[in-house]
Amino acid sequence: MSAVSLRNVFKSYDDTQVIHGVNLDIPDGEFVVFVGPSGCGKSTLMRMVAGLEDITGGEILIDGHVVNDLPPRDRDIAMVFQDYALYPNKTVFDNMAFGLRLRGTPLQQIKSCVQAAAETLQIEHLLDRLPKALSGGQRQRVAMGRAIVRQPKVFLFDEPLSNLDALLRNQVRAEIKKQHHRLKGTTIYVTHDQVEAMTLADRIVVLRAGIIVQVGTPDEIYHHPRHRFVAGFTGSPPMNFVDATVVAADGETMLNLVSHHRLPLPPSLLQAAGDQIGRGVEFGIRPENVHLAGIGTPAHWPRLSLAVELIEPMGAENLVHFALCQHALIGRFGNDVRPAPGTLLEVALDSDKMHLFDKETGQALDSPPPIP
Amino acid sequence: MRTVKTSFTRRLFLLHLPMALIVLFAISPYLWMLLTSLKPEATLFSANRSLLPEVITLDNYIRLFAKTGFIKNLGHSFIVASGAVALGLSVSITAAYAFSRYRFKGRRPLMLMFLLINMFPVVLLIIPLFIIMKHLELLDTHAGLILGHSTFAIPFATWMMISYFNAVPRSLDEAAQVDGCRPFGAMLRVVLPVTLPGIIATGIYIFITSWNEYLYASVLAGQDVRVLTVAVQTLIGEYEIAWGLLTGGGVVGALPVTLLFMLIQKRLIAGMTQGAVKG
Repeated sequence: MSAVSLRNVFKSYDDTQVIHGVNLDIPDGEFVVFVGPSGCGKSTLMRMVAGLEDITGGEILIDGHVVNDLPPRDRDIAMVFQDYALYPNKTVFDNMAFGLRLRGTPLQQIKSCVQAAAETLQIEHLLDRLPKALSGGQRQRVAMGRAIVRQPKVFLFDEPLSNLDALLRNQVRAEIKKQHHRLKGTTIYVTHDQVEAMTLADRIVVLRAGIIVQVGTPDEIYHHPRHRFVAGFTGSPPMNFVDATVVAADGETMLNLVSHHRLPLPPSLLQAAGDQIGRGVEFGIRPENVHLAGIGTPAHWPRLSLAVELIEPMGAENLVHFALCQHALIGRFGNDVRPAPGTLLEVALDSDKMHLFDKETGQALDSPPPIP
Repeated sequence: MRTVKTSFTRRLFLLHLPMALIVLFAISPYLWMLLTSLKPEATLFSANRSLLPEVITLDNYIRLFAKTGFIKNLGHSFIVASGAVALGLSVSITAAYAFSRYRFKGRRPLMLMFLLINMFPVVLLIIPLFIIMKHLELLDTHAGLILGHSTFAIPFATWMMISYFNAVPRSLDEAAQVDGCRPFGAMLRVVLPVTLPGIIATGIYIFITSWNEYLYASVLAGQDVRVLTVAVQTLIGEYEIAWGLLTGGGVVGALPVTLLFMLIQKRLIAGMTQGAVKG
């Protein structure tokens, strides 16, 4: 297994630049997820690592060697495609053995490798079947089998779960994670689904319009987004955003929400906010950090009295939408909280989980967390 | 009940009968040819001739094979048609694969050119082709005729193959390349086996067009290499037409292509409409 490095990688189609200088180091054995909305360049970036797209500028290194001009077959990678790309005229065994055969592996060894891979994926009983006789989940497993049987330097997954139904998706997702723990292979996984990214990744790379917006562990991405885009992309429902202005009142730096609520700022945000006095910012807080004010909520948490607009029961929890001028503020509460629409509720905001973003650049204003 | 009855009579008069008439009109010459070939030559012009043969005889066929060089003509036709298939397929498969898989400068104009060639009447090409073949000393040879037939077989076959290749997801080629194939190997080992039914259909299409072709066969060849269509035509003399032999030759000549066409008709239509709608 090997490390992968991207050094100032560019990609253009004719006059349109789609990847704008990406730098990334993926250490040996790491599971990295490229995530972003469609058209952000995540698939293109991975296909450049695979050698299926030319690199317009910069360098891609696998195992310390520049692979820019190497064709895919010489990069020692394996890829799982979105549509699985199983060879329809070959049996499952032949699909899995194809790569080994091309490399001139002795037949006996091919058999044992395929058998071993089939056993770990529990597809031994399917080896004689043609892909058309397999269900979606089975095809997915065969595609994974074809990738792991060669023991490549790098695994690439291109939205491998997007063709599966929700239940199967969860199963296969767990399977992929299990296989990664077992094989410890360097893996690049592309998805637009932030849940997949959060659950699978050692590190998440959030991309937007061909630029890396943030790289970090799922925890960092979720709890310390460095950009409004990252905060808005992760979490379901995503972070609440409210327009606000930083004001100095009574010798204190406060936040004046667009709804004219005034919030005291926590120490973590005071310094950053101090530079923004008089300027517009965006205040952000995740739905689970909006609490019902009452016993158990610390006294220093800012409180707001808000009208309930709508309740979405999710089973284990209820999502309560509050009206806040034009903004909707969503709170995530236990399933016993069922206020009638129109009632006024007092909520407390967890002051340690508040975020401020620059209104123009979208950059987070709070200081980044210390690197452990 | 009444509605069912009226709708059936309506369908009979508006659909089934007109259809039957059209089919009858279309196949009657062939039927007539078949029936004529089975009648004794002497009865063809007798006063009490009938549409259906009174005596069925294979006399015309026996004379055709015994007294004329018809077997040899069939052989020439077979060599030329097979050669056209081999040449046409090897060129059109590689061309169509490139058109389907790669985006290069001049791709669209080239594809358009292939389409335009199909629209020109073949007779326009005959004089330049004759001159070229004469310079290459390929007149009246199998190779010359194969090249001649390729001029119209390749463009159409290329378009047919493009639609077959377009139906194969590109990720298959990419998976093969990641697995260790060169681009050409990916085509050979993965894409071609998947498109095999389409390749067979295209091959048979080329075979049929070449087999049935008359104009080039008579101008670019005709003496040493006399294919079936030309041979049948020679049975029409200045003063006499050997109707028995002519119709026999027609039936024998049409037989292989009819069988082949029955084999591919479904695929041919599928190939023409592939990619027209989202699958």
